[in-house]
Amino acid sequence: MKGEMHVRKTLATASVGAIALAMVATGCGSSNTGGGGNKDTGKTLESAISMDPKDSLGPAKRPDGAVKGGNLTTLLVDDFEHLDPARSYVNIQQVAMGLVYRTLTVFKEGKDSSGAVKSTLVGDLAETPGVDVNKDCKTWKFTLKKGIKYEDGTEVKAADVAYGIGRSFAPDLAEGPHYIQQWLAGDANYNATYKGPYNGGAEVPPNLQVNGDYELVFNFNAPHCDMPYAASMPMTAPVPKAKDTKTDYDKRPFSSGPYKIKEYKKDVSLVLDRNPNWDPKSDAVHTADPDTFTFSIGNEADAIANRLIADSGPDQQAITWTNVVSELVPKTQDPAVQQRVISGPTQFVWRFDINTQRVKDLNVRKALAVAADKQAMLKPIGGSTAGTPTTTQLSPTVAGYKKYDVFGVPDTGDPAKAKELLGGKTVSLVLAHANSSRRTNQAVAAKAFFEKAGFKITLAPIDAASYYTEIGKKNNKYDIYLAGWGSDWPSGSTVLPVLFGGDQIVPEGNYNTSYSNFPEINDEIARISKLPAAEATTQWAALDEKITRDFVPSIPLYNDRNYTLVGSKVGGYYLSLAFGVASLNTIFVKP
Amino acid sequence: MLRYLVKRVLQSVVTLIVISIVTFLLFFVAPASPARIMCGKNCDANTIASVEHRLGIDQPITTQYVNYMKGIFVGRTYGEGDFARRCPAPCLGYSFRSDEPVTDTLKRTVPVTISIVAGAAVVWLLIGISLGMVSALRRGTLFDKVAMGSALTFASMQVYFLGLIFLLIFVYSTKIMNFPRWVPPTENPAAWFKSMILPWITLGLLNSAIYARLSRAQMLETLSEDYVRTARAKGLPKRRVYLKHALRAALTPMVTIAGLDIGAALGGTVITETVFNLQGLGRTAVDSAVIWNMPVVMATVLLAAFFIVVMNVLVDMLYAVIDPRVRLS
Repeated sequence: MKGEMHVRKTLATASVGAIALAMVATGCGSSNTGGGGNKDTGKTLESAISMDPKDSLGPAKRPDGAVKGGNLTTLLVDDFEHLDPARSYVNIQQVAMGLVYRTLTVFKEGKDSSGAVKSTLVGDLAETPGVDVNKDCKTWKFTLKKGIKYEDGTEVKAADVAYGIGRSFAPDLAEGPHYIQQWLAGDANYNATYKGPYNGGAEVPPNLQVNGDYELVFNFNAPHCDMPYAASMPMTAPVPKAKDTKTDYDKRPFSSGPYKIKEYKKDVSLVLDRNPNWDPKSDAVHTADPDTFTFSIGNEADAIANRLIADSGPDQQAITWTNVVSELVPKTQDPAVQQRVISGPTQFVWRFDINTQRVKDLNVRKALAVAADKQAMLKPIGGSTAGTPTTTQLSPTVAGYKKYDVFGVPDTGDPAKAKELLGGKTVSLVLAHANSSRRTNQAVAAKAFFEKAGFKITLAPIDAASYYTEIGKKNNKYDIYLAGWGSDWPSGSTVLPVLFGGDQIVPEGNYNTSYSNFPEINDEIARISKLPAAEATTQWAALDEKITRDFVPSIPLYNDRNYTLVGSKVGGYYLSLAFGVASLNTIFVKP
Repeated sequence: MLRYLVKRVLQSVVTLIVISIVTFLLFFVAPASPARIMCGKNCDANTIASVEHRLGIDQPITTQYVNYMKGIFVGRTYGEGDFARRCPAPCLGYSFRSDEPVTDTLKRTVPVTISIVAGAAVVWLLIGISLGMVSALRRGTLFDKVAMGSALTFASMQVYFLGLIFLLIFVYSTKIMNFPRWVPPTENPAAWFKSMILPWITLGLLNSAIYARLSRAQMLETLSEDYVRTARAKGLPKRRVYLKHALRAALTPMVTIAGLDIGAALGGTVITETVFNLQGLGRTAVDSAVIWNMPVVMATVLLAAFFIVVMNVLVDMLYAVIDPRVRLS
């Protein structure tokens, strides 16, 4: 999942578990809200896949006090990178466009009566989250619900979903996730041969069958048990061939969801109004209470926070996905403002990757881990409202999450213990960082705490725009650097193999930037990838601990935290577990 | 007059060509590959090569420059097949980050900046010149002292400070006004006017301070000229002498400064646009520079240079209108 600077990699081999299961994470909970206060619940995170077709049907349950009508404004800093489902990979794009186009599966989220967050994967366009035809995760069948209509009143057909997936193979529309394309092609280089339904290409990609108007069958040459999750990605949204405007589709995707695009002024605003042909009975997640959604673009983060704190005029019916800037956090402590704060962990974890090709001594890596002052790393980005110190590679939002602490040192680090591990040596290291002010301040803090523990640190600033490109080069000349990652769906399968799988290492464009290539880890990844998901969730968590304890290729630092505001006349909001920001699915505005 | 104009226009064209070459070279000294940046993070070597081809940056630099300049006059097509992107003349490049011709970006952002600058210029010229003139005529009075003291105070302030103060007073605390939101004047003139009030006053007040001091000094100097004294001695009414003779002469240097200031401001009022969340040319240029969106950076630099050059020519022409002693040759 991409969000802000976080990157994700296409994953050719992720596969866990079977469907029709319930995954219950043992970790801490997330916070969310439904129109009132918003505190961390500390409850167990629950995440499940429901195969009961009834769970995939609407109408969605409306929150208490829900009111129909009005306009909900979302204050954004930057414009959406892409609206086209083939090109959409950023969390907020997916949340916003979830109102406009539907996908094969969707996360049905909300709080239960105890206040815990519950997230269940259900069918959206499909009657269920897919059928594993031969129980080998290689053949997946999705049957579409009948009667789902586009904004022009025509019915959504299986061929449109296939066409949408087909166009996501086009090199000119390559910015979205590539899971399904790679699984269909059986190759990480998924568009070497088939390049989408353009320039004479077939309308249906290879290994995807369209049977009649309502059935799709995906045939993979390897097991991919995460297919129900992957089917929730935007590229499974239907695109009628006649409505495909190629790159211009990015400006106005055709609606199959509860809202359609009324007006889009790039860098200024995006306005959605109702799709009159949307049938709430077919939709298990959207209550679609506001008449319109307006996304106001180009606002500065501090202005957004100031406006929502002031809570006047139309801002009372506004929300944001931008965290309150640290300078204004004290103003949110006012009880009247505090009850409008949405706070909780997201799926993004930040860590120091240690380049294991260069730093080969395990004790040096352990000393780095012990010396790391996580509070000092959080301070330049906003302190406790921006993140929570962590000791795990997986986020608490991932199913199977287990909290562990292998080094048992305070969040502020233990320089004396680190010196002991170094055995009196002074180790010189190069610490690379993006040259933005936040990352530079973090690097300066890191230099101080590492040097206090006996290291000699040389800082190497890299242009922020090419930071991930540079650290993604296998033969880079840096020893340690900051990197962030968020799971694409709540499973360790979209985190650990990508970050620590030795078979993922290529000359350039790596996301395994610790260049971890330990046979024991690689074997475990291969073994767990073949397990049913119910077993795999806890196994991924165990591997998480093993990696950090025995190999220390990376130091988990902090888990990104959502700390955002809503206006006083907004209700029905909650922090989405799947996306790490306020969901719009059941939101409403009060007059 | 015509000869002079042709000469100035030719000089301007040469200036713009030199600037275009320098900014074009930025592409090649940039620390990161434009193709990799434009193609996002989910990119393999094949996709990068494809973007390089679409951008035309797989060709020799001279060919690229010629194509760029040609595009300004006859337009250009980027890519091929079903995904060919047409960039009509005047094509100033194609932004693959936002997937649109750069001219489309400029069409959105230039009206914002022009709106800010035009209104603010009216404020600063009206307030600045009036204050300066009255202060000069009432030299040494309480009015003069208060006016010049205020001018000094505003001149020492910054847009980000005064703008935030106004927001704090009128938007966040008293809630008299809503936060400014860009509305094109063609769409809703009243809403446009309302949303521009705070930016105009902020930028206008700050600049008017300097103009007040300058116009006061100019006016005092002119008032001490022999021809003013002669006009008064010949019995011309005070009003006529001050407005027709003295003010006109005092205005000449003000026009030069105003022309340059307005030209520079049209190139982007970055801080004003940022404080009031208005996506104008300046903010777009900075945002693009941060993410190395070079086609947009190049176009904004060229456009800013164009504004300065044009304002310079205009100022020269205005000289002749304002001051009959000046002859263009």
